Amino acid sequence: MTTSTMDRKLDDALLLRLRVEDLLYHEADLIDRWQLEEWFALFTEDAHYYVPPSDVDGDTADPETSLFYIVDDHVRLRERIVRLGKIGAHSEHPRSKLRHLVTNVRAHRDGDIIHSRASFIVSRAKDITHDLFVGHYLHELVERDGQLKIQKKTCVLDMEALRPHARISILL
Amino acid sequence: MGVETGIINDKDAARFLVPRRAFTDRGVFEAEYKAIFDNCWLYLGHASELPEPGSFLTRTVARRPVLFTRDKDGEYNALLNACPHRGALVCRERHGKSRAFMCMYHGWTFGSDGHLMTLPGSSGYPKGFKTDPQKQMVHVPRMERFGDFFFISFAKDGEDLATYLADAGDILNLLSEQSPQGMEIIGGTQEYAIRGNWKLLAENSFDGYHAACNHSTYLEYLGNTKGALGVDPLKGEAIDLGHGHAMVEYTAPWGRPVANWVPLWGEEGKKEIDGVYNELESRLGADRAQRIAKKSRNMVIFPNLVINDVMAVTVRTFFPTAPDYMEINAWAIAPVGESEWRRKFRLYNFTEFLGPGGFATPDDVEAIEKCQQGYAVGGDAQYNDISKGMAREGVPSFDDEAQMRAFWVEWDRRLSEYGA
Repeated sequence: MTTSTMDRKLDDALLLRLRVEDLLYHEADLIDRWQLEEWFALFTEDAHYYVPPSDVDGDTADPETSLFYIVDDHVRLRERIVRLGKIGAHSEHPRSKLRHLVTNVRAHRDGDIIHSRASFIVSRAKDITHDLFVGHYLHELVERDGQLKIQKKTCVLDMEALRPHARISILL
Repeated sequence: MGVETGIINDKDAARFLVPRRAFTDRGVFEAEYKAIFDNCWLYLGHASELPEPGSFLTRTVARRPVLFTRDKDGEYNALLNACPHRGALVCRERHGKSRAFMCMYHGWTFGSDGHLMTLPGSSGYPKGFKTDPQKQMVHVPRMERFGDFFFISFAKDGEDLATYLADAGDILNLLSEQSPQGMEIIGGTQEYAIRGNWKLLAENSFDGYHAACNHSTYLEYLGNTKGALGVDPLKGEAIDLGHGHAMVEYTAPWGRPVANWVPLWGEEGKKEIDGVYNELESRLGADRAQRIAKKSRNMVIFPNLVINDVMAVTVRTFFPTAPDYMEINAWAIAPVGESEWRRKFRLYNFTEFLGPGGFATPDDVEAIEKCQQGYAVGGDAQYNDISKGMAREGVPSFDDEAQMRAFWVEWDRRLSEYGA
């Protein structure tokens, strides 16, 4: 392999990672600022959003055969956001303060799908409670009109249980 | 020396008041462990979780680490998970398959029935040491099964499980009859905690009164989702099942995989749900089939086993570790051999309402935690009101509070009579 092909491969890999990082950071920022409609617009219309429980292998578990915490298709994800906009979503009223830290982003292309893995810590603070969600994201991204869109987002919790959190009333 | 609970139960005046120190007082909390958790039958697990000889799981029950196993003969064992040598946890895995358990400290190794198999350095011990009953893992004093549900009791004596369960046993049977092949726990556990007193979750689990306000967004979500609402109204009754167990049983507009169709499931789904219903009817008769398929049930088996047979079925236990903190485990239970389609919709239904990521449970958690915070006001605001429906003539409604009064009367009795 010549130096220039190696450089080009490196450039492609870096560019891909930068594009993915850009999307993930944008996503995190939108959630932290509670701009949930804009966040929702990052998903394709056949998108899924999953949070598996901690006693299964979250990287491979199937929501059709294992009990998850969250199994959202596009319709339910929209409804989740509609719900969070209401005063009757008591768990998030008043809204909690959120901060997503996203790091260790890795991406590779497999046909039309870009797979990424990234680490996260999500902080949720609300009146007397302050909880941290720690885990990793598995994103499946696709190109739509020159933009990267999320087709699937799985949030794997690297935790033993949701204690004391009790709830995932926010978006991870 | 029983505990003075301070509950006011005045039927003539339709007053039922629970003092808030029942939720905050450290002395009450300690008394509950002695009078209730160390005496009652407590849910341990379901037979389907230990599918074959050698299967095991570990679970904390009433603060005690328990190792639940099937030995080589397929017999079930509930062992206190501590080494007789120095007390270390013997099994440190959550579940798996093994015919022996080695303590990682000094290598004492036990069979899945708890007997000491291997004693390293045995020449340092006298003859007969290895078979000394004191050197074996200790069995939980009592374990019994009701159908496929296993319960344990830390009390050596007391009534048998079937007597204890009273009419709640029939509701467990009703659940088991959903399939001719029995029921199974689906893999994946929802494990969480709530910063509130455990009795608030017992109340909340079969509270038919809070849905309209606390879960308005869930009901609106069903309304927004085309075809998610069936024709049945929310309507039903509260039933006292004896010994502190109670439930609400009612019709509801949501779909049930066994077996209440909603338009969202389409014509294919209708065929399948009709098939499920017809099987129930031919096996159990029209009345029983109707009850199983069309009615939802939220049941609390005293003190802390919840079985909610709603848009899916959850089995839930919870134990306090302090007056203002509890740990909860929740599972999904389903008919063995149901189709992939039904299993998928069941799990989709379950996560829609139930659990930390659902559209309803987070708001239950919020309510429980805000109650606990509210109790700090103290002063003259010292009672919770549990009287709804007390003056009603006839059958208590599902959105009354008769089911909670059944729980509280038993709680009161056990604490008052403890040690008396």
